[in-house]
Amino acid sequence: MSAINQSIYANAGVRECEYREKSSIKEICLFLAEYSAWLLGSGATSIRLERNVHRMAKAMGCMAEMTILPRHIHITVCRTDHTDIYTYIIATHPMPISFDINTRLSRLSWKMADDHLTLTDAKKQFEEIIHTPPTSQHAVLFLASLANAAFCRLFTGDWAAVGVVFISTLIGFYLKQLLTHLKVDTRLIFIICAFISSVVASSACLFSFGHTPDVAVGTSVLYLVPGIPFLNSFSDMLNGHYICAFGRFVHAAILTCCLSLGLCGGMLVMNLSMF
Amino acid sequence: MLLQVLQDALFAAIAAVGFAAISNPPKKAYLLCALIAAAGHSSRYLLMNSSLFDIHIVSASAIAAFIVGTLAVLLSPYGKMPAETCLFPSLLPMIPGIYAYKAFGGLMMCLSHGVENEFNHYFYLFAGNGLTCIFILLAMTVGGTLPIFFFKNISFQATR
Repeated sequence: MSAINQSIYANAGVRECEYREKSSIKEICLFLAEYSAWLLGSGATSIRLERNVHRMAKAMGCMAEMTILPRHIHITVCRTDHTDIYTYIIATHPMPISFDINTRLSRLSWKMADDHLTLTDAKKQFEEIIHTPPTSQHAVLFLASLANAAFCRLFTGDWAAVGVVFISTLIGFYLKQLLTHLKVDTRLIFIICAFISSVVASSACLFSFGHTPDVAVGTSVLYLVPGIPFLNSFSDMLNGHYICAFGRFVHAAILTCCLSLGLCGGMLVMNLSMF
Repeated sequence: MLLQVLQDALFAAIAAVGFAAISNPPKKAYLLCALIAAAGHSSRYLLMNSSLFDIHIVSASAIAAFIVGTLAVLLSPYGKMPAETCLFPSLLPMIPGIYAYKAFGGLMMCLSHGVENEFNHYFYLFAGNGLTCIFILLAMTVGGTLPIFFFKNISFQATR
């Protein structure tokens, strides 16, 4: 057992008494459930979620066990002597992936373990964290377009193709932001954005821009590839969270199918062939 | 060759920063993502294209992801962030997106071509691209995640 775990266990008894007086097991469970819903929603892996929640529960003199499902978390919290048990099922918080929130929630778990935060203070800090503003939409739009253009260059596209991909991504990604704001279904957004981006990028073929118009069309939709969900799903699989891994993989595969549908549609309209 | 490797590193860094921005990372993560992605992607380029190595894309992705993972685990404590915050955006330029949608395109073409030869050809494209995509993803995740477990004490205490 590591030194950190030993110190957590040593302090657990004292803190359990404090928490027993101040916070009911129901309060602790509801807080941990809410924390889990946000952490999983922000794109954390299952192993990180488990470790953070276990750490926080121990810091409050409790034990926590969870079932992590793709859209729900089933959490049970009990006192170390099993005198008080509470179970709660919470839906994961639907939100865009945010490593900033993920990072700050992970820091909060260590603050609870090391700085002995009270549940009230932890709740206050949690409220601040979940209201973290996302990166500026304009900055993301520009950086994502630049990234996809760089991607085109990595796939041996010439500078004309790079320019075309930058513009097609700019238009497609702006549309994605707009449709997301209007709360349109994510799968439909992927189809529409891939279609528009591929049609715009096809102009490289239509007007014979540069020598690699096929690379431009192929890379124009890569900003939509759900890379993080794919990586999370394989990471969960390696850690034995097979149900969550399968759920995340299917979600990522469906989004890839949607972007492929949009791309196929765009190429069909522009009379281009994928192979 | 050196110029090509440097060019690959530069564009991988730009791609990593841009794709990282989509997943709202902490501000400190951008520089780390750029450095790590540049090191990882250029290593893969070198492993695949240098006459000295000439390794298949799956093995090259696994080795490059291991380099990315190790750097992410060792550098993330400086920004007080989980290793995944640097690791995943840095791996994004290596995601086999083109294989993924070509696999789907092959499947669609299978459905619209009933003649055996044509069907077999498109099924070959579907299976070839699909398998390559899945194995690259698997290799990347295994390669990238192993350092997190090798250096558990560092990776799970980075935010402490």
